[in-house]
Formats: sequence, structure tokens, C-alpha cells
Amino acid sequence: MLATMLVSGLISGVFYALMALGLTMIFGVLRIVNFAHGEFYMIGGFVYVLLYYGAGVPIWVALPAAVVAGALLGWIVEKLLIRPVYADFGSWRQGRDEYAIIVTFGLSLLLVAAMTKIVGPWSLQGPRLIEGRPLLILGLRIAPHQLAALAVAAVFLLGTLAMLNYTLWGRQIRAVAQNRFCAAVMGVDVAKVSTLVFAVAGGLAALAGALLSNMISPSPDVGAFPAIKSYVIIVLGGLGSPLGALLGGLMLGAIESLGALYISFGYRDTYGLALLILVLLLRPQGLFGELRREV
Amino acid sequence: MAGRVSSLGRPAGPTSLAQLGIAFALLAVLAVLPPLGLGIYWQGVVITSLYLAMLALNWNLLSGYTGLFSLAPAGFAMLGAYVTALLWTYAGVGPLFGIAAGALFSALVGLIVGVLTLRLAGPYLALTTLALAEILRVIALNSFDITRGEIGLEVPALFAHQTTYYYVFMAVVAAMLLGLHWLLGRPCGLYLRAIRNDETGARARGVRTVFWKVFAFTVSSGLSGFAGALFAHYVIIVSPSIGHLLVTGLVISMVVIGGMGTVVGPLIGALLVNGGSEYLRAAGDYHHIVFPILVILFARFCREGIAGRVAVLFHARRGRIRGRREAPLAEAREAAAS
Repeated sequence: MLATMLVSGLISGVFYALMALGLTMIFGVLRIVNFAHGEFYMIGGFVYVLLYYGAGVPIWVALPAAVVAGALLGWIVEKLLIRPVYADFGSWRQGRDEYAIIVTFGLSLLLVAAMTKIVGPWSLQGPRLIEGRPLLILGLRIAPHQLAALAVAAVFLLGTLAMLNYTLWGRQIRAVAQNRFCAAVMGVDVAKVSTLVFAVAGGLAALAGALLSNMISPSPDVGAFPAIKSYVIIVLGGLGSPLGALLGGLMLGAIESLGALYISFGYRDTYGLALLILVLLLRPQGLFGELRREV
Repeated sequence: MAGRVSSLGRPAGPTSLAQLGIAFALLAVLAVLPPLGLGIYWQGVVITSLYLAMLALNWNLLSGYTGLFSLAPAGFAMLGAYVTALLWTYAGVGPLFGIAAGALFSALVGLIVGVLTLRLAGPYLALTTLALAEILRVIALNSFDITRGEIGLEVPALFAHQTTYYYVFMAVVAAMLLGLHWLLGRPCGLYLRAIRNDETGARARGVRTVFWKVFAFTVSSGLSGFAGALFAHYVIIVSPSIGHLLVTGLVISMVVIGGMGTVVGPLIGALLVNGGSEYLRAAGDYHHIVFPILVILFARFCREGIAGRVAVLFHARRGRIRGRREAPLAEAREAAAS
């Protein structure tokens, strides 16, 4: 039972990590938290479901389309709304955080309301990736479509980490995250990197929404909890740390499963808060964050 | 500080008295409406606006004056409401003690969250309050045996007539306005604004920044809990919907549209947003779409909000805009230094 729950927790952890990775990349590059992250997840789920059922598009087209829709939304949002964070305000340290929180939170409410207006407040269950009989792995009954979703998520997760570590784009992102000013002096197009990060984060969140749409049917406000979990994860992993987001996601998934097993299933979603409080109390910089004193 | 406009274009100092005058003029207009024949329905709308104005005033104390961003004004209101409802249901404690207990308990939770998050620099407060608000709401929804979930708990009414609520809510808003004005005149009001403008600088000048940030957050949480508990005894039913994120969204839009860091802004915003919601709801539920758009537009193009913009224009006419003219220079200097 323990092993079974642990495995199922780690599986959800992979999807959490997918959300949190984008969020932590945005924080690393722009030093802001995207409070509309759950809505990228929601949009991804809806694009996937509506394309499949509404337009009759095959799954292998609908899934990439969802990712592209999320990335496109991230790209537009960054260009239209986030740019002032670093373009106009210059030295407005206080004004910057204020603007980012208000605008992304407002955007989150707007996207939920707009989606409710367009498709209605109902939830729509997404199609399975593949059909087949459930497999028995480590005593856990896993349906092939869940396994396929997990595989796709893992590929994208590792792919993004590889991109960050081994490509020019990744080096640029890491450079801007380390020192924005210095990166700009070295010829990195900081504005382009910021847009890129938002697009990647939007795509990853949308992918999570599409992959989970069969297990958690998307509704306009479905994004709230995945988003809150990814906030817990990025604090747990250390704000701005991609590796922290990956491990933090797996940890949160495992802790939720164990809590569901030993404490109560109904309150599964609340263990994240307890974890957040513990992290803030014991290790506020997170697992991989660095402790910095402001001068 | 006399007549200066801060670098964010927000008036500070003596304008607060003029704004207080405008706020009380607004309240006076509202006060004469019921005898002139304001119907029961619209009285209800004004009462709800006044309740949201209480939350907005408290949120403004945090965001506009201290530079802290909580995403749980509605969450703390729900906490206060549930404290009085649970005390009534399971211990038979009356509304007055219930409301006091709700306020104290919310302040206590605010204190704990504040101590945990505010010693850290960064977005921890916003992240933690958002998680807290949503998770409290889920606990209230799922603990069906105790809270009866979405059905909610019934609580007794405080007064027999709606008009009494109308004037009581008005008096509470007036008291909060006076309290805010008083606070801003004390040294502690200066500390809070110093923290908002430049926290590092404030600390360097000997302001105990963490203490005052926690203080502001505790006061704001407690008063939000008080407002929620009071509102509970008006609607007579306490359900998780009091703490919905949409309510927080409304509160934020009221402050941003009315004017962050102004005394009268949240009240103007509350009346405009809640009154406007009534019309837009009738037109087909557009209020949840229109106000987020307005919030984004105001944040982008009119950061001082309606009240702040009016105050800036007022000062510009009187030729006292020194601070404004210095601002670009100071910004250029800072940009060069960073």
C-alpha cells in the first residue's frame, strides 16, 4: 500500500513539476510571480478538449495545439502586460512588484471569467491519449493512457531542463537569471529572453492541463489548485531554481499521497499549506535557493 | 512632506484631511438616501458596498501605505465569519462576542502568517496568503460534519431592520476612515509609508521594518476578520463563498480603481465597483470580465487611481508639484546607480 501510494504520488508530482518549472523560470528571469499560471493550465486543457470534441481533430494534433496555444498566450501576455515591469519602470523597485502582482492576478480573474462566458461554468472531460487494458506496475494499476501522459510529461520536463543546461537559449536564460544587467551588457537580448521564458512556461502549463484533462476535467476555475501547488513547490525548491522545482514537485506529490494514506484523503489539497509553513519556518530559502541578505 | 507628491505620483501628507472630508461628504450623501426613499434592494447593495469598502480600506492600508500584497482579504473575512458562526452553533456564544472573537482570531492568524513571511524579502506574503485563502475555503467546504459545506451555517441577525444595518455599516466605515487618518498622522504612519517607498532606506534610518510590517498585516487581518464576522450577522448565513477569490478580486479592483495609497480611494472604488456590478450583472454577468480589464488598465496607465489622479491634478493647479518635477531626475539617478 505504501509503495503504491508513493508511486501514485510521484506520478502527480511529475505534473506538478511541469507547472512549477515554468513558474520558477519566470521568477528567475523576471523576479515576479505569475499569478495567472493556473489559467495557462486551464487554457491548455480547454484547447485540447474543445479541439478534440468540438472540431474532431485527432489527439496527436490537439495535444501540440494545446501546448502552442499556451505558449502563444504566454508570448502575448509578456509582450502586452509584463514588458512594463522592466521597460518603463526602470528603478521603481516597489512599483514593479506591485504592478506585477496586480496585473497577473487581474489577468487570472479575467481569463477565468472570459472562459466561463465562452464555454460555460461546466467541466469537460478530455479524451484518453491511448486505449488499452490497465497494467500492473509495482502493485499499482496504471492505465496505459496515464502512463502515456506521464511519459509525455517526463519528456517535456527533461527536455526543458536539457534546454536550460545545454543550449544557447538555456545559457541566455540562466545568464539573465543570474544577473540581468550583466547579461544585457554581454549582448543577451534580455527582452527576448523574458518573452521566451513566458512562452515556455505557458506551453508547459498548458501541456499539464491537456495531459491531465482526462483525470481532472477542465472547468474555467480548474487552474486555482495546480497553481497554488506550484507556488508551494517553487518556495520549497527555492525561488528561481529549476532543479528545485523538479524535486519539489515530486516531494509535494509524495507528501500528498502519504498524507492521504495516513491522515485523511479529503484534505489532500491542504497538506501543501502545511509544507509551505514548515519551509518558511525552517528553510525559507528553499531546498536549492541561496540565502541572500539585501544590502 | 507638506504638499509633496511621492515619486509614485501619490499624494502624501495634508491631502489626507481633504480626502477625509470628501469621504465623509460621500457618507453623508449615503446617510440621507434611506429617508428619501431608497428601496430595500438598493439599501442592500449599499450595505454590501460598505462591507467591501471595509475590506478595501484594510487592503489599502497594506498595499497602498505599506507596500505589502495580501491575496487573502476575503479569506480573513471568511475566517472571522466562521469563528462567530462556529461559536454560535457549538457554544451558543452571542453575536457581539462572536464578532470580537472573529476579529481576534483573524488577527492571530495574520500575526502568525506575518511573522513567517514578512521577515523574508520577496513575494512570500502574496504566495502564502493566496494558498491560505484557497485552502481555508476548501477546508470549510470539505468539513461537512462541522461546517455543513456549501449549505453554510445559520447565525442570528444583529438587528431587526435593514436600515439599522445600513447606518451601523456606515458608522464602521467612518470609524475605519478616522482610524486610518489618525494612524497616518502618527509616527507609525510615517514608518509604514517609509517602508513602502524604500524598505532598505527605512531600515537604515532605524525603522524596525519587520515589526511594523507584521503590525500592519496583523491589524489589517484582524479588521478584515471583524468586517467578515459583522457581515455574517447581516446575511445570516456563513458559507465558503464569503472567502472566494472573486471577492478578493473585487476588493483589489476597488482599491486599484479608486486609488491605492489614498484615504478616500477605496470608498469611491467600492461604491463604483459594487454599484457598477449591479448594472453589469443585469446586462448579462459581465462584471467579472469588465473589472479585471479595468484593473489591468488602471495598473498600466493610471496607477494612482481616480482619487490619486484628482489629487495630483489639484496639486498641479496650485503649483505645488515640486516632487513630481524632481521624480524623473531621481529615477535617472537611481537607474544609473543600480
